[in-house]
Amino acid sequence: MTTTESSPPVIEARGLTKSFGDVQALSDLSLSVNAGQVVGLLGPNGAGKTTAIKMMTTLTTLDEGSAAVSGFDVTTRPNEVRQLIGLAGQSAAVDEKLTARENLELFGRLYKIPRHERRRRVEDLIEQFDMAEFADRPAGTYSGGERRRLDVVAALIANPLALFLDEPTTGLDPRSRADLWDAISMLAAQGTAIVLTTQYLEEADRLADDILIIDHGKVVASGTPETLKRQLNRDVLEVRVATEDDVATVLSVIGEIDGVAADVAGRRVGIPVGDGASRSLELLRAIQDGGVAITDFQLRRPTLDDVFLVLTGSLAVDTEEGAA
Amino acid sequence: MTMTTTTTRDSLPDLIIDPSPGLRLRRAIQDTGSVLWRDVIRTTRQPEMLAFAVVMGVFFLVLFNYVFGGSIGAGAGVDYLTFLVPGVFVITALQGAQQTSLGLAADLAEGVTDRFRSLPMSQLAVITGRTIADAMRNVAGLILVALLALLMGYRFASFGGAVAAIALATAVGYGFSWLGAAIAAKIRQPDMVGMLSMFWLFPLMLASTAFSPAETMPGWLQPFVKHQPISVASDAVRALAGGAPAGNDIMLTAAWIAVLLIVFGPLSMRLYRKID
Repeated sequence: MTTTESSPPVIEARGLTKSFGDVQALSDLSLSVNAGQVVGLLGPNGAGKTTAIKMMTTLTTLDEGSAAVSGFDVTTRPNEVRQLIGLAGQSAAVDEKLTARENLELFGRLYKIPRHERRRRVEDLIEQFDMAEFADRPAGTYSGGERRRLDVVAALIANPLALFLDEPTTGLDPRSRADLWDAISMLAAQGTAIVLTTQYLEEADRLADDILIIDHGKVVASGTPETLKRQLNRDVLEVRVATEDDVATVLSVIGEIDGVAADVAGRRVGIPVGDGASRSLELLRAIQDGGVAITDFQLRRPTLDDVFLVLTGSLAVDTEEGAA
Repeated sequence: MTMTTTTTRDSLPDLIIDPSPGLRLRRAIQDTGSVLWRDVIRTTRQPEMLAFAVVMGVFFLVLFNYVFGGSIGAGAGVDYLTFLVPGVFVITALQGAQQTSLGLAADLAEGVTDRFRSLPMSQLAVITGRTIADAMRNVAGLILVALLALLMGYRFASFGGAVAAIALATAVGYGFSWLGAAIAAKIRQPDMVGMLSMFWLFPLMLASTAFSPAETMPGWLQPFVKHQPISVASDAVRALAGGAPAGNDIMLTAAWIAVLLIVFGPLSMRLYRKID
């Protein structure tokens, strides 16, 4: 596979649309991924990310739109598409009774990799992804990180042109996550076209060349991480107060200033502040002048929740109880 | 005319475009072998599954012989154990068919099915491989049941008769495996599949000549009992095991197996493909 400026995209989707019954799961999603590029689909649970992945990997039918890998249409040429892609789905799609080595052997056989080649490939991957320690235990005994690693590695067995990773690092510890990030970057550097879904802004930021932010099945923003950040990256001033009454006072004080939308969770108020420090000082002073005792405050970088608050005017993820 | 095009890729399997029917068949057989390999490994890692496959046969053999043997056996015209053992063979093989249903439903509930569906493989192989693995386990289960029967005093007419009886029972179980596969592909929830299997398994099993002769049952039930597949198969296996001529029953059994395969083979494939 040679990569030149004029190469057509490896993965191309146009107007992907899908509903399940009355629920519009995905509407009009388009993307294009060149060799060596990573496109991130960023959004909360239920946003339609998995549906998009399933449509592009021949697992689910398209209501409208089209998708193709290397020019092969997923609807009319699924058998060719399947030879070119690797998929690591959201549920760890490996056989729990088989060991990592056996799982890789099985998937290698099903990709029709010749025996000699297959053996070598399995051993290479086990070594490269540091799996030797658990490669001969049944996958059912693995930790979350080990299982996820096997799941992703299983998608690499046939060295796919196009790799689809559905929330590859969800539930991983920070160390495993960092390892997987390195691996994904390396695959992209080797020329693999990658579509990755994630709930983590940081992950999309770190890995993706292009990001599509999806909410309720619709693309609400897209662009390079830099573009999106210029558009979205607002620091948030988080203020904690002692009583519910104080929360109300804080909201009325900041509402008087410029009517910014604040995000309230318990006795914590998150206020988007465009230009960080000086703006924060101004607000803190105003709050204090309003007679509120501030118990704690911090200036933090935006989370996915903040991005969604700005983009859609509503919170993306219902994690109020876990937010404190 | 289809023409196979292949493109060599860096150290990878060649990209195959428009495979010829011959190549497609060869690859489907190869895939079935791969899935079978996987299912056999799974079976050896779960010896309790073999135990489940045998336990029903053992229960029926022991309970019916010692508990009901006196009353039911009177109508059979022969020693009841001689009557019972071939019927238990068929029931044991049916149990294996239920395992196809449960095993496939468990696969469908796990993420591994998504993986299979994203691979360049014959999707038929997912079911074919499993039914063959279940048939192999059935053979092992039937040999165990046969050994128990021998211990209880049962005698086959000949070694060849024993082999033929086990082979035919396995074939009947294989036919029903496809019914099990269709149920699994339609329902997909392991516990629901387990419940539903009872609905076809128990009536067919009890209203049959597997445990007692049709003549002992009410007249209105007899036409069903005499012609339904479990009865026909039990009679055929009984004749093979006992060294009696069984031409007609074997033909009828083969016909039933063919019907099961023709109806439920394509049906389970269609249902499997419909998974979205």
